[in-house]
Amino acid sequence: MSTPFEDPQTLINKWLESREFLVVGKGVVRIDSLSKALGKARFTEDYLTSDVLFIKQVISSEPHALIKRVDHSSATGVSGFQGVFTASDIPGINQVGYALPDQPLLAEGKVRYVGEVVALVAAADYDKALKIAEDVKVSYEPLPCILDPLEAMERTDLLIHEELGSNIAFRTKVRKGDVVEGFSKSDVIIENEYRTHHQDHVYLETEAALAIPDLEGRMTVIGGIQYPHLARDITAKVLGVPSSYVKVVVPYVGGGFGGKDDEGPLAAAKAALVAHLTGRPAFILYSRDESILIHPKREAAIIRYRSGADDEGRLQAVDVTIIHDSGAYANRSPFILWRATMHASGPYEVPNAKVDGYAVYTNKVYEGSFRAFGNASIQFAVERQMDQLAEKLGVDPIELRLKNILEPGKHTMTGQLLDHSVGVGDAVRRLVEASEWRRKREEYRKFNEVSDRFKRGIGIGVAWHGISTSRGVPDWSNSYIKVEKDGSVAVFTGITEIGQGSPTSSHVQIVCEVLGVLPEHVKVVFGGTDAPDSGATHASRGTSIGGIGVLVAATKLRERLASLAASMLGVEPGEVIIRDEKARVRSDPTRYVTWGDLIKEAISRGVELSATGYFFLPKGKFDDLLGQGFAYPAYSYITIVSEVEVDTWTGHVRVFKVWPALAAGKIINPQQVEGQVEGAVVQGMGYVLMEQLIFDSKGRILNPDLTDYVIPSIRDVPEIAKPIYVEDLFKYGPFGAKGVGEMALIPMPATLANAVANALGVNITTLPLTPENVLKTLGKVG
Amino acid sequence: MFYRMPEIEYLRVSGLEEALQILSRKEDTKVLAGGTDLVVDMKVGRYKPKVVLDITGVKELRFILDEGDRIRIGALTRIQEIVESSIVRRKIPVLAEALSELGSWQIRNMATIGGNLCNASPAADSAPPLLVHEAKARLTSLEGFRSIPLTEFFLGPRKTVMRATELLYEVEIPYDEDFAKGYSYLKIGRRNSFTLSVVSSATVLKTSDGRFNEVRLALNSVAPTPVRARSVESFLKGKEIRGGIIEEAAELVVNDISPISDVRASAGYRRHVSKVLVKEVLTKALTRLKEAGGD
Repeated sequence: MSTPFEDPQTLINKWLESREFLVVGKGVVRIDSLSKALGKARFTEDYLTSDVLFIKQVISSEPHALIKRVDHSSATGVSGFQGVFTASDIPGINQVGYALPDQPLLAEGKVRYVGEVVALVAAADYDKALKIAEDVKVSYEPLPCILDPLEAMERTDLLIHEELGSNIAFRTKVRKGDVVEGFSKSDVIIENEYRTHHQDHVYLETEAALAIPDLEGRMTVIGGIQYPHLARDITAKVLGVPSSYVKVVVPYVGGGFGGKDDEGPLAAAKAALVAHLTGRPAFILYSRDESILIHPKREAAIIRYRSGADDEGRLQAVDVTIIHDSGAYANRSPFILWRATMHASGPYEVPNAKVDGYAVYTNKVYEGSFRAFGNASIQFAVERQMDQLAEKLGVDPIELRLKNILEPGKHTMTGQLLDHSVGVGDAVRRLVEASEWRRKREEYRKFNEVSDRFKRGIGIGVAWHGISTSRGVPDWSNSYIKVEKDGSVAVFTGITEIGQGSPTSSHVQIVCEVLGVLPEHVKVVFGGTDAPDSGATHASRGTSIGGIGVLVAATKLRERLASLAASMLGVEPGEVIIRDEKARVRSDPTRYVTWGDLIKEAISRGVELSATGYFFLPKGKFDDLLGQGFAYPAYSYITIVSEVEVDTWTGHVRVFKVWPALAAGKIINPQQVEGQVEGAVVQGMGYVLMEQLIFDSKGRILNPDLTDYVIPSIRDVPEIAKPIYVEDLFKYGPFGAKGVGEMALIPMPATLANAVANALGVNITTLPLTPENVLKTLGKVG
Repeated sequence: MFYRMPEIEYLRVSGLEEALQILSRKEDTKVLAGGTDLVVDMKVGRYKPKVVLDITGVKELRFILDEGDRIRIGALTRIQEIVESSIVRRKIPVLAEALSELGSWQIRNMATIGGNLCNASPAADSAPPLLVHEAKARLTSLEGFRSIPLTEFFLGPRKTVMRATELLYEVEIPYDEDFAKGYSYLKIGRRNSFTLSVVSSATVLKTSDGRFNEVRLALNSVAPTPVRARSVESFLKGKEIRGGIIEEAAELVVNDISPISDVRASAGYRRHVSKVLVKEVLTKALTRLKEAGGD
């Protein structure tokens, strides 16, 4: 039999044209929901064995200091003591910096923030490990510390990383047209400095990893991780062994939000290091205070934004400076800063742009990945600017936005032509109708004229988020599928299940749609390094990018099996439809072969029943010197309208209704997408209204606990309308799907700040909008 | 498993007498009533006692008794039992209202009224409603009983007048029909539930002939101990109920409080919202009193 054509893009295109679906687009129940509801789903800690060693981390009490000595003499007499391990015990390379080689796994020579891990204590029981960790004496020679990124940028006499000669870790830029000319053509100009703050992920399950040496002749790590292959590579590097000698398994994970993209691999490496050095299984589990003190946070940003528009309301120029407080290590801040920089215009066309970004070291907990990845802060600035431009022009903020909104055929700020999948204009227009924006804007204005204490406002935030990695950074999807003799299907993906549900819902749906099998016969084996490297479960890519490989592998099998069925039924392959585990003749559905018989025939005829789905995303080039070029293959878009009531006596902001509209291509599972949107709205609302880390003069976090780091409870959750979906299909996505996971968080600072500003008639430039900060803005509290 | 508990001698008793015996004998003892504060505080190292005396099984301290002119609540009565008690809801509604906002439902089912008072947190939710009712703390030891007005019970953050040999036996709350009509408790926290107060306030009041007859007002989280707002109270006593009078009175609360700045709020914010809160509770209590057919 001839081999069917198996070019990935051709297969993606073919299924992109589907108009009728078996399971895609339907609220199929995820396969892990029952086991999670019943408490049967297993997380890292559930794999503990009785012979395990417990690890406790010794963390720095100093923000910036030389390490003189680590004394653990008091520990040697303790029974069950297995060792105290420091940088000098690392057999491989003590270098885990993500973007830049600036970060040790265990502090070496000096510490750069309070919370930096200096040593690992291992003991046969947890209490002993805790006691020994308390008794380990680290002698420091304190150095002056820098906490303010603006100060850090200016100083060269005090360096956090001496070898760099500067506290600026990374710079980015975009240049388009001539901003001087753009501002000269502007009839209105708005200029502000915005400030946003850190956010902790507060995943229900803190970081955990269990390392088991010699299982299968290699180091096996079970852990809460977002990218198993990255965790494997970092672990192998630290141990000084080949990557193929490390296996990473990611079981169910109690939340990631980006935090376990950064800290997950480090937790894995720490557990593996102890297991490697002791020859025994080793387990690390962060306490909540360790988690908050140690792991990276959402960027705290300072954004200076100047924008101008002509009297017709057309944007003429934006001039933006973005400064990220990267903390002690660069980690992913260059990539986060890139994303912020590329998105600095918002989803609007602007002829002249100048954007400069700086990631700056300070002696604080460092910056890392967090749902929205640099984009929530910049869209906050963009959307505050748009509201103020509209106000100054005397037009409705929606009109101003729609006048400048990106559409197919327009160019982004980096000069990239948007050729398809730009549904943002439709999303805004539909949302304005659904939320009755104009009527409410007027209604609240009247309400505020007579209401003294309570003020109501309605605001909008529009946002875009590039699909895949920024610029030309390689990105791919990969998955492996095999059909077993009994017809059941095993799918292997490195995408993890961190609560979002892609391997347990959309991947299953993709396979069922393409192969016509029933969900109960599909097993997605997810989150392990024995699957092909599928990239990370981050950047809203689990279903969109992660699903491409699943689609391609499944479609390859489908092509082969449709050909086989065609020959069995005596028709052309195009005449075969497969559904409900039967391959039928389209024109005469009474003629069919069963899925089971089809698989038996494939085995007897030598049709390969396994396939790899690999797809490398086509990208262009970004010119760093010119600050122009390709940024992303496409963008997801979202807009959120929110309605608030502010108590001007207490400063309390009550969000009473949130309206989302999403342009993220095909919605494969509306139930899951709705869950993602609601979760992101609440996480974003918590960030804007109540969450804040309090630092003292040494950069110590004073509230590393859930008593005083306050996140929303169910009673704080506003009414969230059913999302509006604009299905602007993405040419590389499975069935045209784009990313969703991060989307609804991105415009939350923008929409809430705009609503509060609308309610109070004041400018909002600084987050969070805690009651106290609201009263400060109103001048009621000093 | 994340925190190292101090090594302690753990003693569990089921009778009051036995508990008092141990307290008279053992030094450096902390009493475990519900454990929702104590266990956490030991984990984070706030307390490192030698002995922990677990009295959770002492059934004789778990009661709510209606004696007509007073309500007696045993020290080991669970917070949720008080919230749900028909006696308390009818006769001391401000207490039920305040305690319904203490912690979460899970915590309210573990925590006790005695624990909340003896822990002496400046933010204790039970304190303001009991202060305005001029409740008494009845203490017991091997030497017998003594009663302390709750207004004299707290000495400072986590300090009370109790001796090391004493246990709180019960709180006695005088019943007053008018106070069961004109009452209010409001809390400003950092979210809508399961939150420590930034400031909270309780009031009970009576009126006659269009005048404030008696007003009692208390706040927490604005001083080293929960406090009565005497300036506000005495200002309103006998004053005619008219527009603006409550606003005027509320301004005076700053004389009764001495807030600090901490991770939860600044002193300035606390001072500001104390005034707002006082205005609110007084207005709400007055409205309730009117609706209940009071003067």
